[in-house]
Amino acid sequence: MNASVWITLALTLKVALWATAINLVLGVTVGWLLARRQFFGRDFVDAVLTLPLVLPPTVMGYYLLVVIGKRGWLGGWLQSSFGINLIFTWQGAVIAATIVAFPLILKSARTAFEAVDPQLEKAARVLGLNEWAVFFRITLPMARPGILAGVLLVFARSLGEFGATLMVAGSIPGRTQTLSIAVYEAVQAGQDDTANFLVVLTSITCIAVLLAAGRLAPSKRH
Amino acid sequence: MTHTTFRRRALAAAGFALTALATQAADLTVSAATSLTNAFKELGPVFEAQNPGTSVVFNFGASDALLAQIAKGAPADVFASADQETMDRADMQKLLVPGSRRNFVANTLVMIVPADSTLGLKAPADLPKAEVKRLAVGNPASVPVGRYTRGSLETAKLWAAVEPKAVFAQNVRQALDYVARGEVEAGFVYATDAAIMKDKVKVVAIVPTGAAISYPIASVAGSPNPQAARKFLDFVLTPAAQAVLGRCGFAKP
Amino acid sequence: MNFDVDIHKTVRSERRSFDLRVRFTTNARRTVIFGPSGAGKSLTLQALAGLLKPDTGSITFGGDVLFDAATGIDIPARRRGFGYLFQDYALFPKLNVRQNIAFGQSSGLRNPSATVEDAAVERWLRAFELVDVAQQRPEELSGGQRQRTALARALVHSPRALLLDEPFSALDPELRERMRSELDDLLQGIDIPVLMITHDPQDLEWFGDAALYLRDGQITEPPPAPSRAQPTRLRPA
Repeated sequence: MNASVWITLALTLKVALWATAINLVLGVTVGWLLARRQFFGRDFVDAVLTLPLVLPPTVMGYYLLVVIGKRGWLGGWLQSSFGINLIFTWQGAVIAATIVAFPLILKSARTAFEAVDPQLEKAARVLGLNEWAVFFRITLPMARPGILAGVLLVFARSLGEFGATLMVAGSIPGRTQTLSIAVYEAVQAGQDDTANFLVVLTSITCIAVLLAAGRLAPSKRH
Repeated sequence: MTHTTFRRRALAAAGFALTALATQAADLTVSAATSLTNAFKELGPVFEAQNPGTSVVFNFGASDALLAQIAKGAPADVFASADQETMDRADMQKLLVPGSRRNFVANTLVMIVPADSTLGLKAPADLPKAEVKRLAVGNPASVPVGRYTRGSLETAKLWAAVEPKAVFAQNVRQALDYVARGEVEAGFVYATDAAIMKDKVKVVAIVPTGAAISYPIASVAGSPNPQAARKFLDFVLTPAAQAVLGRCGFAKP
Repeated sequence: MNFDVDIHKTVRSERRSFDLRVRFTTNARRTVIFGPSGAGKSLTLQALAGLLKPDTGSITFGGDVLFDAATGIDIPARRRGFGYLFQDYALFPKLNVRQNIAFGQSSGLRNPSATVEDAAVERWLRAFELVDVAQQRPEELSGGQRQRTALARALVHSPRALLLDEPFSALDPELRERMRSELDDLLQGIDIPVLMITHDPQDLEWFGDAALYLRDGQITEPPPAPSRAQPTRLRPA
């Protein structure tokens, strides 16, 4: 049973876009907190949050399976309270991709915020702006190029996520079988033609994304 | 001892040591279906004891995936598949040493449920019920157990109702794991696999498959160690090896 | 209108901790806080502006309590009504002169547009001769134009006092002379109290109606130095 290639592509993009959107909010929030707020154990928190980058995706997938699976403490609670089960769902795939890619935007956002001149934020405060206005009018626009670079990395990583996704969401054509998993399965089944086509399709998608992103955040020429 | 004499002797000693090292590591690479994991891991040391100087390296996976690797030049010496169809394909692609193929064990397909399941499922006919939301099946495109399952359910006219609920596993052990974790309400594995997780899954039915499930084994053409491969093929049919396989739940071929 | 300040703040960095203990009252039109680098001048000014929260003490201006640790009052910077001139002017680099000056006119989440129209902004553009460069960005301006933009930005909301953070320290000596006299002219027409911090004795001569000497975080006696016109020395309160 093979879902059509276009459904697979649509599903892959859906998962990647959701993971990117969630990471944008999470990354900017946590990145800002780590950059601007002093608190005890700040570096330790940063290190822990960077772990998913260092741990192999299958290890992350295993931890996720244990936590959000039916017998896990979070999964069990979700099941009994809301009847929600995230394993074998595209939402589970989004969670896997989000967690695995999170450190990429965290680093970018934190660095970008740290590079914003605090004097400018102070000037804005004295001129009458509250903290939200300071953030949206001064801090965020100045950090934007760095954050966008992080967003791009997150999208690319989510698009290609395989190990953790396979463990948590399984490979269900049309529902959780993303392009990377489809390629893997085609190779396993000896379907080289399908594999070749999927590989080319994935590559074209990634190139298109890079070009589009290049327009959103043009790098300075001189 | 003069300086040059010392150098010459040191080099000779090093060369001898390296050669000795090389002959020690005569590997026999066996690509075997996932369901053979436990049984073959037990047989490995036995074979090595009988054939000093050979160390057995196992590569387990779904039969189709192993075939794909061999077809692309993976240096396996022996190929043990979970179904005839995959071995037939290997034969067609001229990947086997002619005449080396033989059947060496048989297995049964069973339906399992999580050990703490309260749904009272008794047979595949119960699967279309609404309480069964998901079930684990090997991917028919790349896993023999998936093909056996599909074949059997198609014959029983249940496949159409069951397929939408199927979660496809990459190999039979993954299907077993899904059931053991309770992520699915039921699953299809070999009797030998169910036996490994007796505490986490229970067998509720033996599933009839049209032809018996018999596992073929063969020597791979052009492999690095054909002599050891032949010895291994003979070995698995010896009474001692068959006893080990029988203990794991396999039947005689 | 007077400043009544009595604050204490300990600032800890990895290597050392710095104790700021400042107590003074000033009613002068122009007060200069004078001291060497590291004396705590900038900290003091930021505390007055509401950019730094003291550990204990109180700050009062014109009878309004801006900060009082004992009663938990801490008016945020945006409501203290001061104008602040930063050391490097802190002009917003991606906004043009007009937008910079108009910046505080809207407290919402959007910056003023590039062609914002505002009567007060226009008045200050004309008063400081910035009309010709109104659409340009800070990086395209001369030092003097930047200073005028920063000052206009601080004054456009009719602040009740002006706080200046070492306005000339980044400039080389000749420019400094010119800027001083420019600033003096610009401030002539402004009838609000001005509080400047500096480590340059020349600034003291130019601007100070009253002087405070700060060293190692505390108000001290002034260093003995001959000078043409000694500003009135305020006794530490």
